[in-house]
Amino acid sequence: MNFSPEFLDAIMKAAAYLGAGIGMIAGLGPGIGQGFAAGKAVEAVGRQPEARSDITATMLLGQAVAETTGIYSFVVSLLLIFVV
Amino acid sequence: MQPGPKVLAYFLGNENFPITDTLVASWLAVIILILFARLLKGRLNIIPGRLQSGVEILLSFIEGQIESMIPGSGRKLLPFIGTIFLFVGISTIMGLIPGLVNPTGDINTTLGMALMVFFFSQYLGIKKAGIKNYVKGFFEPIFLMFPMNVLGELAKPISHSFRLFGNVVGGGIIITLLYQFFPWLVPVPLHFWFDLFSAFIQVLIFGMIAISYISVAVSD
Repeated sequence: MNFSPEFLDAIMKAAAYLGAGIGMIAGLGPGIGQGFAAGKAVEAVGRQPEARSDITATMLLGQAVAETTGIYSFVVSLLLIFVV
Repeated sequence: MQPGPKVLAYFLGNENFPITDTLVASWLAVIILILFARLLKGRLNIIPGRLQSGVEILLSFIEGQIESMIPGSGRKLLPFIGTIFLFVGISTIMGLIPGLVNPTGDINTTLGMALMVFFFSQYLGIKKAGIKNYVKGFFEPIFLMFPMNVLGELAKPISHSFRLFGNVVGGGIIITLLYQFFPWLVPVPLHFWFDLFSAFIQVLIFGMIAISYISVAVSD
């Protein structure tokens, strides 16, 4: 079977866009992780309100690290949309 | 819509040296910082004015952050870390001005700064532990872990730079999409979230992660 180059190109574009959308499912992971960290930080502030600023700084740093996988999937999706 | 730097002109007509909008915007950020510093330096006073107290609060906050993670070297590292905070801060909220782009929305800017932090932390680690202990640190706990340790070190600047880049570009793309579907009433308030609040948090995190990479390199 022979396909024209335009058809193959369209299939490739469609697959890349679909892949970009599916790739962003990775947003689930950072969401759960950051929510968990925020919940634990709330518990810690409730137990020790005087350590609030330390807890907030540690929470933000941990959440930023947890976010990394989501950012990776976002960059991959960007590459799929704009480069392929 | 195409994210990434746009080439505005070529330096002396040479195709190898493109002048991008990122370059123009980051030079503007540098000029703003230098002019601000010169303006403030001329009016330093024992009794601080309003502007001077604001800057003093900012700098002592940064120094406190360094001091809490690397005890004893807050004043020594303040020029380096403070420059990162100020430059990244200026260039992340710069996109609010129409016609300008965020220099941090370009992977070249963020990767450049992350590599600077990476080399600086390695240099401090070598200076602290000596070259022999530094190399030995890669073979801990057993020598089979050598490739994993090297990869772990090399992944640091990648994740450090991609985090800021991804956040800035992601906010920009969401706002651009909203501008295509809604009139200005819906997207404009979102600039406060993406360009001010989220950018502020990301700048704080970029600087704090720089401090924590240096503290990890110095501690062992």
